[in-house]
Amino acid sequence: MSKIEINNLTVNYTEKKKSFTALKNVSFSIEEGEFVSVIGSSGCGKSTLLSILEGINSPTEGEILINGEPVTGTGSDRGVVFQHYSLFPWMTARKNVAFGIKQVNKTASRAERYQLADEFLQKVGLEQFKNKYPSQLSGGMQQRVAIARALAMDTDILLMDEPFGAIDAKNRTILQELLLELWENATPRKTVVFVTHDIDEAIFLSDKIVMMTANPGRVYREIKVPFDRPRNRIELVQTKEYNKFRNELLAMFYSDIVSKIGGEEVVL
Amino acid sequence: MNIQTKTIAAPEIDIEKKSSKIRTEFFRRYFRVVHALFAVLILIQFLPDQLTTETYSSYAIWFAVGVEVFTLVLSALIKKPASLNLFVDIVAFIYGLLIAWTLATAKFNVLKAALFPPPGKVLWQFIGDYDKILTNIQSSIGIILQGYLLAIVVAIPLGLFLGWSARLGSAATYISKFLGAIPPIVYIPYGIALLPTFRSVSVFVIFLATFWPVLAGTMSGVMNVEKKTIDSAKVLNVGRFTMMFSVILPASLQQIFIGCNQGLTVSFVLLTSAEMIGAQSGLGYYIKNYSDFGDYTRTIVGLIVVGIVIVFISFIFNRIQKFLLRWKQ
Repeated sequence: MSKIEINNLTVNYTEKKKSFTALKNVSFSIEEGEFVSVIGSSGCGKSTLLSILEGINSPTEGEILINGEPVTGTGSDRGVVFQHYSLFPWMTARKNVAFGIKQVNKTASRAERYQLADEFLQKVGLEQFKNKYPSQLSGGMQQRVAIARALAMDTDILLMDEPFGAIDAKNRTILQELLLELWENATPRKTVVFVTHDIDEAIFLSDKIVMMTANPGRVYREIKVPFDRPRNRIELVQTKEYNKFRNELLAMFYSDIVSKIGGEEVVL
Repeated sequence: MNIQTKTIAAPEIDIEKKSSKIRTEFFRRYFRVVHALFAVLILIQFLPDQLTTETYSSYAIWFAVGVEVFTLVLSALIKKPASLNLFVDIVAFIYGLLIAWTLATAKFNVLKAALFPPPGKVLWQFIGDYDKILTNIQSSIGIILQGYLLAIVVAIPLGLFLGWSARLGSAATYISKFLGAIPPIVYIPYGIALLPTFRSVSVFVIFLATFWPVLAGTMSGVMNVEKKTIDSAKVLNVGRFTMMFSVILPASLQQIFIGCNQGLTVSFVLLTSAEMIGAQSGLGYYIKNYSDFGDYTRTIVGLIVVGIVIVFISFIFNRIQKFLLRWKQ
């Protein structure tokens, strides 16, 4: 049995009396401890898919099973990092993490929660900033806090919706390496579903890439990433295999877009 | 050679620059127009009085000396030039007012003496009536606090609840808009019929005056909380109570404060008006009572005290607001 099974998921939205299909018959499965990226151009429904996994939205048809149980709402088995607004602006970094811990661990005392929060803030390199409010932190730092919170909550599954999408290129690579390091060193490894539109990010991080296509959103390909772990970005990007794999993925990505719009102008 | 002379000369210039900098800083701090105004204010006290009654100019002198000492101490303590300027400008305004007031009353008698007492006399009266004023302040503030806090304690949870259940909320918005549109002062006659004492009527009217704006502020705050904030709380799997008081409440706090602020302003207007109509105590009563007897010295004392009390309460209110919203930039 897979950790997460997505079975024939279809989502229809009705907006201003017009209905459109965000997802159509989406099926794939994710194994325990697997790092899966969902990739696709905007409008392919990848964020809708994640919101159903989070339990915020519910599907029109089909279902998602986690450990064989259907998802009916949010749950304390899943930690989430959004692109924006994951943190509560009225809580300090430390309080944000401790608040997350409190929701999954009701028995821990205040002191224990704060101690655990400090531990995880240290892991993401923010121990000096623990008493700052989100508005006093940069976007990259805010995402570090959000990651620290998701990890400190110690859920089986980590759902990440373009968590580095709004962060500059340099900090983005630093955060990718940090995430990978924290994930690889944890035992047992968490099951991660990571939504992105960045192919390099997907290859560097994942065990498997699920490529989606738009209008309606469906799964286009599932691709295993054939590189060993632990991965070193600088060494990896220099290998022939990496470039060949990347070019294949890019070709798939573009051929999908080109076929959609009839081979004319490509706008990404 | 050249280099050597330079290295020797440099520190000397530096020291000179520093000392001249300290000197200009000293001048900027302590040599101000405000102190000249103080001197003028003191000097005019020694002009001969034109009034037949006592002018109590010694009270004005002592008051001015007190303010001046306070100003000098603060000049030494306040670090930021902008806040020092602000404070000094306020003091200068007070001195200017006192100079004009003294000249127009005690010294040249251009205003009607019965209606315009000299400043010294007002200060003398203020000190003499100290006990009475304090009791009246207590009475007024007691009523305000009771009605105001009661309204906040009821309106905020109710607003959270109504705003949160969105469907109810939209109807509740119109109902609260209608009821909130009725000026609370018109409830006074009905309140008098309903309630046994003047105090309970005042508390009731202040309660209503605060309740509607706070309720409306809380509801609009809740309805404007970003969906993303609610989603981040939902994915943390928070309970209903936590969602309400740890997420929705702080997220709508700014709008709640707008309602609270409005309620506070209206409360003062209402209470002082109500006290002038039917009370036996309070600041409004003090002013009304003495002006009825033609005691305009005490009327002016009352006006000044009302001003001071309101400024003081707004100051505390702003401090609380700033503290609770310290996470906003």
